[in-house]
Amino acid sequence: MLVDFLVVGVSIGLVYAIVALGISLIYSGLDIVHFAHGEFVMFGAFFGLVLVNDSGLNYPISIFLAMIFAGLMGVVVERVFYRRLTSKGGGYTVAGMGMIICGFGMAIILQNIAFLIWGAEGHAINVDFGTPMKIGTVNLPKSYLWILCVSVGLMAILHLFLKNTKAGLAIRAVAANKDIAYLMGINVPLMISLIFGLACGLAAVGGVLIGPINYVQVEMGYLILIKGFAAAVVGGFGSLPGAILGGLMVGIFETLGAGYISGSHKDIYAFLLLIAVLVIMPTGLFGQLAKSKA
Amino acid sequence: MQNFISGIAGFFTRLKSIHPLLPWGIALVVLLPLPQFTVNNYQVYLINFICIMIILATGLNIVKGFAGQVTVGHVALYAIGAYTSAVLSTKFGMPFYVNLPVSILAAMIAGVLVGIPSFRLEGAYLALATLAFAQAVEVYIRVTNYLGAASGIGGIKAPEFFGYSLRKYDDYFYLVMPIMLAAVYASFAILRSATGRAFMAVREDPISAASMGINVRRYKLIAFVMSAFYAGLAGSLYAHMLPGYVHPNNFTVIEMVTVLLMVVLGGIGNIWGGVIGAIIVTIVADITREYYFYQLLLFGAVIVGTVLFMPKGIGGIIDRYFVNRRFIAAREETAEVKRGIVGGSPDESSG
Repeated sequence: MLVDFLVVGVSIGLVYAIVALGISLIYSGLDIVHFAHGEFVMFGAFFGLVLVNDSGLNYPISIFLAMIFAGLMGVVVERVFYRRLTSKGGGYTVAGMGMIICGFGMAIILQNIAFLIWGAEGHAINVDFGTPMKIGTVNLPKSYLWILCVSVGLMAILHLFLKNTKAGLAIRAVAANKDIAYLMGINVPLMISLIFGLACGLAAVGGVLIGPINYVQVEMGYLILIKGFAAAVVGGFGSLPGAILGGLMVGIFETLGAGYISGSHKDIYAFLLLIAVLVIMPTGLFGQLAKSKA
Repeated sequence: MQNFISGIAGFFTRLKSIHPLLPWGIALVVLLPLPQFTVNNYQVYLINFICIMIILATGLNIVKGFAGQVTVGHVALYAIGAYTSAVLSTKFGMPFYVNLPVSILAAMIAGVLVGIPSFRLEGAYLALATLAFAQAVEVYIRVTNYLGAASGIGGIKAPEFFGYSLRKYDDYFYLVMPIMLAAVYASFAILRSATGRAFMAVREDPISAASMGINVRRYKLIAFVMSAFYAGLAGSLYAHMLPGYVHPNNFTVIEMVTVLLMVVLGGIGNIWGGVIGAIIVTIVADITREYYFYQLLLFGAVIVGTVLFMPKGIGGIIDRYFVNRRFIAAREETAEVKRGIVGGSPDESSG
């Protein structure tokens, strides 16, 4: 029983962790909190749905393509809309407040565009994963195994990319200080687009991974957004290892709460965790005090 | 047009110099026969609803515009006000004049709970915490059987005064409209008072506000509690209005967006802007009700467009008009004085 819950919790938690990674990337790179990130998860899930169910592509290729599409979409949205605000300064300035409201509005726009295209009813991504694996007494459905492999693999690739490539170094420089990055000859606007594309691509992967387990529907983005936020906050905003750990904690906390206390209140637990961490320990596990980042 | 507006402004200034409450008294008298000009009952309902929305938007403006705290989940306080009234009325059979203060009190207590995180959190973090709070309240209502769960609470009694029940929309208007005017007047009074100036100091820079001897935490909390007062008031008024029915669908993200849009479109921190925003948004929302998802698309687009291209909203445009007018007058005056001293033409000195 407990092991089953833990398996589910860890898998769901890894999806939250991927979403939280994107949110943290955007926060550290652009100094903004992206309130429309959940909608990119939703769009990613719908891309996956179309690619798997309608086009008949196999699952890994669909994940990859959905990631590319959502990433490009993110780049366009950032270039066209957010760039006007972020160029005036992000963080906690007046433009920062505008950015929160703008992200919120963007989330509503994207959600309703998705509704007009795909309608309100839920769909499941039909992937035949085969029979569940048996390890000892525990039945391990293969969809969870997929989540585990893909998300851990992506995290490793992201880590290597940020640590070992020149573009990764440039991204870290932009996150540390944009003005000095400019002086060092880094193409900062391009790097910001790259950060945004990466983050939205990650979100889309989260969406495709959760698609076979949960229903894919227009309103899913909102809940995932708050849980991704909860994960990012628990781990400490802007910290990538923190985002992963936070995602796992939120996932396990939620699943155990749903299993042992009350299933219908499932969504409240993540919110309570979020509020509790915000009030008791706003810097999270790995975060520095975020106040000075402006 | 310019003469007309400046004429009206001058007229109101003169009225205010007779007695500060005089313009409000006149507004009350002018608005009184409004239900007589409507075609059907539904329009009266809409007017009542607009009044409630104005109260809600004005309240949100206090915490968001005056004190600069980014809350998103204001609709949760509204829901708490409405549900407190609903439960008291249907489960305990309490009359309206008991329910209203108790609902306001409940909303204010919730406002304290929302306000406490604001001590340590700023900007986006606070937005997150309030968003999570609003979501938690909505989910809690939706799954709790005592609160009617997904079917809502019906049969809330209309307010009754001295044996006369305000069951018709026309009658209810005479309850809601004066309260709305009083609420808007109160928010102006708050803005002008020392408390309002303290709010603005906290908004501009908490650290320098603290160095001026302002207790930042206390004023943040006061702002939250005040706006919760407005939200509870609006919620209770909404619950008691015909058909006396509250449903979790009335307190969702959509309402959150609608209220946010009112304040953003009107101009954050601008009271008249908020009132105008509430009127426009409620009417547009009603007209486009049949095209539900297009309506939200429109609202989202207007929010993004306003933030990008018109950051100060409608109120900002009005303000700029008045401010510019004053600037032009002041500039002409100085130019005239200069001309008198230097004796040259203004073209030579410019450049």
